[in-house]
Amino acid sequence: MDILKNSYLDEELEAVKKQGFLDYRTSQLPTWCPGCGYFGITHAIVQTCNDLQLKKEEVCVVSGIGCAGRYPIFMDVYGFHTVHGRSLPIAAGIKLSREELTVFAVAGDGDALGIGGGHLPHTIRRNVDITLFLFDNSIYGLTKGQTSPTTPLNQATNSHLKGNPDTPLKPVSLALAYGASFVARCYAGDVDGMKDVFRQAITHKGFSFIHIVTPCVTFDKTNITWGRLNGTVEPIEPVHDQTSFESALRLAEIPRLITGIFYQDKKRPSYMEIIRETQS
Amino acid sequence: MPKKDHYVIIGNGPAGNSAADAFRANDKDARVTIISDEAFSFFYRHKLPQFVAGNIGEDDLKVRPYSVYKEQNIRLRLGQCVDRIDPEEKILYLRHMEKVGYTKLVIATGGSPRILPSLTSFEKHLRFMTGYNNAIKLMPEIQKAKTITILGGDLISFELVKALRTMKKKIFFIFYSKCFWPVELTGNMSAKICANMKKKNIEAYADDTVETLTEKGNLYTLKTASGRTFKSDLVCCFLGLVPNIGYIIGSGIDTERGVLVNEFMQTNYKDIYACGDCAQIYDPKLKDYWISIGWSNAGLQGKIAAMNLLGSSKVVKPLPKSIRDVVGIKIQTSWWDHF
Amino acid sequence: MADVDIVIEICGSAGDGTISSGEILSRFMSSQGFEIMSFDSYPSEIRGFGKCVAHSRISNKKVLSPGKYTDILIALNNAHAISQLHTLRETGIVIFDNKPPNYLEEDQSIAGWIEPGMISYGIPLLNLSQKASGSARGRNMVALGALAAIFGIDGEQMKSAIHARYAKKNKVVIDSNINSFAEGFTWAQQHVTKVDSYTFGHSKPKPSKEKKAIINGNQAVAQAAIDSGLHLYAGYPITPATKIMEIVSRELPKKGGVMVQTEDEISAIGHVIGAGYAGKRAMTATSGPGFCLMSELANLAVMAEVPAVLVNSQRGGPSTGLPTRNEQSDLNIALFGGSGDSPRIVLAPTSVNECYTCTTLAFYLAEKYQTLVIILLDFFLSNSIRNITTPVPPKANQLNSNVAPTKTALKDYKRYKLTKNGISPRAIPGTPGGMCISTGLEHSEHGHPRYDRNTHPAMTEKRFNKIQGALSEAPKPRWVGPKKNVDIGVIAWGSTAGSAHEAVLNARKEGINVAFMSTVILSPFPVKEIKKFSEACSRILVPELNYTGQFANVLSPHLSRSIERLNMVTGLPISAEDILEKIRDMAR
Ligand SMILES: Cc1cc2nc3c(=O)[nH]c(=O)nc-3n(C[C@H](O)[C@H](O)[C@H](O)COP(=O)(O)OP(=O)(O)OC[C@H]3O[C@@H](n4cnc5c(N)ncnc54)[C@H](O)[C@@H]3O)c2cc1C
Ligand code: SF4
Repeated sequence: MDILKNSYLDEELEAVKKQGFLDYRTSQLPTWCPGCGYFGITHAIVQTCNDLQLKKEEVCVVSGIGCAGRYPIFMDVYGFHTVHGRSLPIAAGIKLSREELTVFAVAGDGDALGIGGGHLPHTIRRNVDITLFLFDNSIYGLTKGQTSPTTPLNQATNSHLKGNPDTPLKPVSLALAYGASFVARCYAGDVDGMKDVFRQAITHKGFSFIHIVTPCVTFDKTNITWGRLNGTVEPIEPVHDQTSFESALRLAEIPRLITGIFYQDKKRPSYMEIIRETQS
Repeated sequence: MPKKDHYVIIGNGPAGNSAADAFRANDKDARVTIISDEAFSFFYRHKLPQFVAGNIGEDDLKVRPYSVYKEQNIRLRLGQCVDRIDPEEKILYLRHMEKVGYTKLVIATGGSPRILPSLTSFEKHLRFMTGYNNAIKLMPEIQKAKTITILGGDLISFELVKALRTMKKKIFFIFYSKCFWPVELTGNMSAKICANMKKKNIEAYADDTVETLTEKGNLYTLKTASGRTFKSDLVCCFLGLVPNIGYIIGSGIDTERGVLVNEFMQTNYKDIYACGDCAQIYDPKLKDYWISIGWSNAGLQGKIAAMNLLGSSKVVKPLPKSIRDVVGIKIQTSWWDHF
Repeated sequence: MADVDIVIEICGSAGDGTISSGEILSRFMSSQGFEIMSFDSYPSEIRGFGKCVAHSRISNKKVLSPGKYTDILIALNNAHAISQLHTLRETGIVIFDNKPPNYLEEDQSIAGWIEPGMISYGIPLLNLSQKASGSARGRNMVALGALAAIFGIDGEQMKSAIHARYAKKNKVVIDSNINSFAEGFTWAQQHVTKVDSYTFGHSKPKPSKEKKAIINGNQAVAQAAIDSGLHLYAGYPITPATKIMEIVSRELPKKGGVMVQTEDEISAIGHVIGAGYAGKRAMTATSGPGFCLMSELANLAVMAEVPAVLVNSQRGGPSTGLPTRNEQSDLNIALFGGSGDSPRIVLAPTSVNECYTCTTLAFYLAEKYQTLVIILLDFFLSNSIRNITTPVPPKANQLNSNVAPTKTALKDYKRYKLTKNGISPRAIPGTPGGMCISTGLEHSEHGHPRYDRNTHPAMTEKRFNKIQGALSEAPKPRWVGPKKNVDIGVIAWGSTAGSAHEAVLNARKEGINVAFMSTVILSPFPVKEIKKFSEACSRILVPELNYTGQFANVLSPHLSRSIERLNMVTGLPISAEDILEKIRDMAR
């Protein structure tokens, strides 16, 4: 250890520390596989928190089960690692109880679209003011490589050796169809792009849906891989009208890695605003 | 599958009950139903005076428990009044607006209190006691009353006087020898009754007609043709029974004073028989109709009616020597003779 | 004063005003100072055809059970009333419409089914209603009028009660109801010859001065929840718990709270756990099928140590079962449902009153012990209406029972610190320095996932020990009767307890040496008291509404003796008479 003291690394660390975002990290080291896209996402999230100067004690991160489920363990905020598929109702329960909190729900594709798929449309239609980070790697990683709701058709997995027979869901189209007031897609390899979207999502008053395409380096060697995706990212053109549902849907149906904010309705009141206005 | 036979008996007195028993004894499968407008069970009518006086309880009145009917699978429809019979369609129309069909019908509706024409204008002030319902209503009134006037008479009135004496009430007893029921009082019978009653501290008067009966503050004032005035808390009227057939008139079933039946107890409809106090029975030997009175007569006739409906041809025989003529009606008075 | 103890049932079709007339009757009799216990049953199917029964026991003594036999049956619909006749006492009374517009076919009139010994009073309900209101809708009020006239209920006062009930409606509605009542009253006075001996009139108890609330179990739970500082209610409609949601939805937003009608029961308990995690009081209410869906998240509350109050109003099961019938067959799932060793607090009120007190207690315990608290109601308790002394809302110190960490503790905050009583001080989001991870994985004191051989045993024990504290904060088991040398001891729980209590009192009157015990806290189990009771009794009887004797099965290892059982799954509440019969059998 002594050898490292005052070394170049220490100085680097000090410099990074000064940037502040490390405060949002715990001392726990992520257990993700080296090279997993989740590192990049985590980095973008803590940086955004830092950029927005969110008070750590006022941030809640709720996750379900899966590789993404571990996420709160690595953030020094109020983390709640719950059960498979239920991060949305629990996150909503938190937000509806303590509006001053910034609430994130973190879920993998299996968690949010498979086992917990039933909660998505309803949390969306209530427009509860939380942000869903959907870590979509199109595979079940924690259970070692089974088909997920977004695994491409015919891709071989450990549960479908001869290829996935189920047509995959299209998360962005789905969120639009459900009527989400904020819909975006990011790529785990594009930290700046993520930060930009995350910042707007977190500050959006209402439910924010962020589809994050992220490779699982361990269990998907053929499809969603760094190699295949790097360089294919197409940021949404500035001419795209984010208030137009039709354009957003058209864009969402294009089967390429289009990233950025597809749709945002800034006027729609959040659930608590509606409740206060109509129910009391 | 042909529909089950439904033997219906209107009336829950001795006639009706023995008919029902006879039906069941001879046909295990048929539906047997007794319909009666009285809600109370089959009871000894002649015990009513003692009951009203409080000398016996409700259970002492009952002839048999309900369980017997359950065991015998006889359906009792109590507290249900038959308003009308349609003998062509074989349907009974009940007062509570229900139709009941029958395949064979026994009419055993007994009698209702007789009222002299001269008394009809005072009817609302008079108390009767032919059944459980009016007995139970009368009871508290009798308990309260100190003085009671009884317009007699019939055997029931004697019974009641006997019972009331045990309650130490002041009683005025006015009776009519000509229309005594079921038989006229003849000779010096009236005088004898008066004398006997006086001995027992009862003011009895024979053949004095009621001129006026008025009520004021629960006190009844009764004035008679002979100028007597009786003031009392209650006025009861017992002049015997007349067959209970009001609801049958106009149905097509022949009636006169009672339901007209032949010596087999059959009416002019082949599936309808009548028996007991309500029947007016033809006797081929007398070549005349007679009316039967009394508990045991009724029971006997009920059985005969049922048996005949099921195919026998038993004949009711009046005992000629006990047939008497009362105001133009021939009456079999075995009860009277045994009294 | 002569004893009054009369059970009245009004039976009609949906739309006949059955339930509303029953409610008027109960409220009025309560205002006259009577004790009442009412119970409405209605079809789970859509309106229009189903049978509705408003059952009400009215007494000037304490009422412990709904009463098995009806004394007076008011028939607003012939077919339904005929099917209800089996509950009529052998000497009971039927009030029915004796002038329907047409003759009914054979056996279609209730009057034709009156058994010997019963008494029927025919009232032209339809005719009088038409005369009074121009429609058939006043038949229920005509019947109430007749009831009042025949059984010595003050007609004038009842009229004002009807007026009050419809005060918010327009004049036409008020008038037609009042006039219908008056028609029925007058007609019965003039035409009905009373041949029975039932009466309320001669024994009118003095109206009590204390304020009475007329509520059912569901209302008591909802009210208690709101009084306990409920912030969030989440639920999914399910009979017989739906009413709780409906009440809360009206009342909660007025207090700044939120009612979320979720997409399913899983989401409902999820919202509750979220709110509990965020430091607010939250509740969900459901019945068996929904409870099954909740069991995974319910376990999260246990493992992650998050307060959650879960009401399960039991109905007949398994599966969809008998949605509108009564059963106590979710005890097993309440006590043991869920994976792993999963300690939870289970409370089962035995009366409407206790529905209130158990709910306030549940919030207090859930927050203090940071765990799942299940309140077990049942169809009967949810719907049985009592006039209870207006409940006392919880005191301020009961409204916040969270044990928060001290400043020093926050320096190195251990969310799941192993403490003596098992309660780890809980930092609520927003508390600086309290940032930590709560998780459904087995975890270290800091909340970090740990699967080593020492952590799980220590944490499991902590979770079990922790809730033991609740025992001393819950009401002690109730013991009625002698304290030693008892022949038969009856132990009951939930809504069966009322009937058992009444049965024991009646059995004692008959000279049988019997005692009674009931407990509202079922987990942790009050072993000490129940053991003491058991030791005082030669024989133990447990009556309950399930097939296997779930409570008896819980008891028997604690008592290590054989237990006699009375298990019924008829879908009806167990009656005092049923239990008394069993006690007599045992005593013979
Ligand atoms: C007070 C009293 C004392 C008596 N004492 C004696 C005595 O000592 N000895 C003796 O032999 N006899 C006595 N009798 C007469 C005896 O009771 C009758 O002769 C006998 O009961 C007749 O029997 P029954 O079956 O023909 O008719 P009842 O016994 O009169 O029965 C008639 C039945 O028909 C029913 N009914 C009538 N109309 C209808 C309708 N429309 N719908 C449905 N049901 C209907 C009635 O409710 C009743 O149940 C006495 C009678 C009375 C009233
Ligand atoms: S299994 Fe895949 S998704 Fe999970 S941590 Fe490893 S690389 Fe990432």
